[in-house]
Amino acid sequence: MTEPSRIRNFCIVAHIDHGKSTLADRLLELTHTVADRDMRDQYLDKMDLERERGITIKAQAVRLAYGEFELNLIDTPGHVDFTYEVSRSLAACEGAVLLVDAAQGIEAQTLANFHLARDAGLAIVPVLNKIDLPQAAVDETRRELAELVGVPPDEVLAVSGKTGEGVTELLERIVAQVPPPTGDRNAPLRALIFDSSFDPYRGVVAYIRVVDGALGARSRAHFMATGLDSETEEPGVFAPEPSPVSALEAGEVGYLVTGLKDVHQVKVGDTITSAGKGRATEPLPGYREPLPMVWSGLFPAEGGDYSELREALDRLKLNDAALVYEPETSRALGFGFRCGFLGLLHMDIVKERLEREFGLELIATAPNVEFHVIRGEEAVVVHNPSEMPQPGTYDHVEEPVVRATIITPSEYLGPVLELCQARRGELLDMQYLSPERAEVHYKLPLAEIIFDFFDQLKSKTRGYASLDYEPTGYEHADLVRVDVLLHGEHVDAFSSVVHREKAAQYGRQMVERLRELIPRQLFDVAIQASIGSRIVARETVKAKRKDVLAKCYGGDITRKRKLLEQQKKGKDRMRRVGRVDVPQEAFIAALRVDQKAEARR
Amino acid sequence: MNAGVYVHVPFCLTRCGYCDFNAYAGLDHLASRYVSALLREAGLAAPGWSSEEIASVFLGGGTPTTLEVADLKALLVRLRHDYAFARDAEITIEANPDTVDLLKLEGLLEAGFVRLSMGAQSFDPLVLASLERLHDPASVRRAMREARAAGYANVNLDLIYGASGERIESWERTLLETVDLAPEHVSAYALTIEPSTPLGRKVQHGVVPPPDPDLQADMFELACEVLGDAGYQHYEISNWAKPGFACVHNLGYWERRPYLGLGAGAHSYRDDRRWWNVRPPEEYLSLVEAGTLPVGGEERLEPSDAYLEEVFLRLRILEGVPTSWVEPEKAAPFVESGLLLDHDGSLIPTERGMLVLNELVLALTG
Repeated sequence: MTEPSRIRNFCIVAHIDHGKSTLADRLLELTHTVADRDMRDQYLDKMDLERERGITIKAQAVRLAYGEFELNLIDTPGHVDFTYEVSRSLAACEGAVLLVDAAQGIEAQTLANFHLARDAGLAIVPVLNKIDLPQAAVDETRRELAELVGVPPDEVLAVSGKTGEGVTELLERIVAQVPPPTGDRNAPLRALIFDSSFDPYRGVVAYIRVVDGALGARSRAHFMATGLDSETEEPGVFAPEPSPVSALEAGEVGYLVTGLKDVHQVKVGDTITSAGKGRATEPLPGYREPLPMVWSGLFPAEGGDYSELREALDRLKLNDAALVYEPETSRALGFGFRCGFLGLLHMDIVKERLEREFGLELIATAPNVEFHVIRGEEAVVVHNPSEMPQPGTYDHVEEPVVRATIITPSEYLGPVLELCQARRGELLDMQYLSPERAEVHYKLPLAEIIFDFFDQLKSKTRGYASLDYEPTGYEHADLVRVDVLLHGEHVDAFSSVVHREKAAQYGRQMVERLRELIPRQLFDVAIQASIGSRIVARETVKAKRKDVLAKCYGGDITRKRKLLEQQKKGKDRMRRVGRVDVPQEAFIAALRVDQKAEARR
Repeated sequence: MNAGVYVHVPFCLTRCGYCDFNAYAGLDHLASRYVSALLREAGLAAPGWSSEEIASVFLGGGTPTTLEVADLKALLVRLRHDYAFARDAEITIEANPDTVDLLKLEGLLEAGFVRLSMGAQSFDPLVLASLERLHDPASVRRAMREARAAGYANVNLDLIYGASGERIESWERTLLETVDLAPEHVSAYALTIEPSTPLGRKVQHGVVPPPDPDLQADMFELACEVLGDAGYQHYEISNWAKPGFACVHNLGYWERRPYLGLGAGAHSYRDDRRWWNVRPPEEYLSLVEAGTLPVGGEERLEPSDAYLEEVFLRLRILEGVPTSWVEPEKAAPFVESGLLLDHDGSLIPTERGMLVLNELVLALTG
């Protein structure tokens, strides 16, 4: 047990690639938390997937012994999809190291998370990283950072995670500037869950910060949001490998083997107290349910793999409390699931894991947001475009909007503003961080953001702009459903909900694209886009006239039979829409967002 | 049962860019060994075919007429000795216009090759050049005159349409010139790009455009019209004949009668078994010279394979498939759209239907 006065709980707030993991490696080394012989790069990013993408998805809490002090480094996810998770990690800390790459400057994500940290009342330790790089603009970035945090420039520490320069001083600063935890060790137990994971042998492990009271081994715990009780098995700390402790007390950070088997019973933001008489009455503030923001239909490329997809999703869900899904039947794609994700990155990760870890071949429909269809007093939630009712049957539609923060070099401000305007954006405010860099806030429909906005932003700013956003609710929008018909048959998988002004153009581009992708059949195939009963675009795939083997003599028959069998297999792999055979590849290509966006430009 | 004998001669003066047959230029020095091997193989294979009556013999290639008349004659003598020939057996030899003259044609007819199949391909010099054929249109006309002079009364001309750069007008001239020469039989093939050929590689690399399937369809329809008007019966997708001159040997393939193949790479078929000789001529020679049948591979047709073959081969010829073989709802849309005729208990492809035969086969057997 460590006296609260000797505990410091902190996190590192940084943009992707600003060197958070490398700095963490130096902290592990300098505090001898990891023996030299065991050290490896990016030590804390354990999952393969994280390593490859250069981001951290799972928060971890590492205990560092620094002199007489116990420092708990709480890792935060670094992506806009996980804002809520970030806020819970911050709530477990008293201080934040605000880490900025001296060559890159402040990015939108840093800014967003800085504001989250400041709003959470955390002490901010501003740090410049990568000062060893030749292109590091130390003075300029130091001024920017000092301005942001509101300290004199000489209080901004300069370090190199790579060489270790300045890192000892950073440890001193953390001890000096981050306040020790407060909290009443004699009060009823209250522990914040800031993350959880599923271990096949031990069940659900919660990452917790004890705020009040103490949590011993083998005690009965009560989860306040879910209302569940459980016999907990083992409290412990990461040093950095998990090691059990007899108890976690107010101010301490660690893990808890919860004794529960389902990750959905252990929710990020929930409060653990003791079951029985000494329980707390008030949960810790800030809890909310994970909210899917982006939806997509996932279908097995081979119809028979439906049950495999179900099993794979069930298994992923064990470790991913934010993933939601429900069975969906598409006339075009057969049986699959409509899945809800926290954002595009979350969606990509889930898709990639399904394909890589479970060997599934998937067709994913274009991602969409959740719409509220308002009929009088009633609001119907729609998260599948093909379920959007026809115009005239409702009063209006509401869509989610976000407050977007974009940081861009000033020279690209024009194109950035154009992009936001073209995406139905509303300028909120704008300021210069320095003469060279501007910070812009826009209100934007989330639907526009998930439609390749980030790629566009990057390409218009040569990769220099950064983006962050937070949902701010639902607003009225003039949206219509665009349908695609093949030979008169509505293809549900191609339906999309689009702003009325862009609907006809979108329909035309979709139809042109499909004309290229749909092979010729034995009859003319009409491809149409419609809004309600109005056809807004039409193309025709002319009937195939020739498909025959010219020569077929004695030496040809075996080969020709095999060719026919091949052709038959190819046909069997196609999806049938009414009378039209559509290859899998056509679905995949037509539903790919970047290509739709290609057509839209 | 009637059977056919196919004899493969793998020698050519040059290799044409589009051709993927088992044929080689520059192997002429093997010719006499090859003829001996054919004679020997005929003897080795004969015991298995004693119960068959040979209705046809077809010498193909390659270019069989690169061989000496005397050798070709010896081959026929050997076959007649080892096998039971029907009295009116159809005996065909393929020829390139440039490899025959009056003397040779007289010799071939005298030797017993009563049917002559000539590779004319086109009467447009540009098309012949694009196909890398050595002859010019005049030599086709000359060879045809000499064939008639030699006494040939059953001649086929082979044509190819849809080569790169060929326009429908050029194809029409080729058809009209063909009709002028009045052969008893015409084979007209849409040029097919085989990936393993020089032309296939050129198409793959974008050096030569691939044939336009719609233009080839137009050309097919023009052939149907011109040849039909001139009194030819369209009895198989790529074959037309004056009444009584349909090729007995080729009908054997489509009617799934047994056939024996002799020579490098030749295929044989009987009793739902198909087997084929090794392809490289040298390998073929050494096996036969060692006294073994030069079989390189075989397959046994499962009932489903046999059924698929039966359907796609029968649909190639006017016979069609019995209506009772196909579920009525599978055939109905094609009868309705004019791709199939429901005639006298058979489903027969129309000319438009022939053009999309693969699709019809897949739909009817699916």
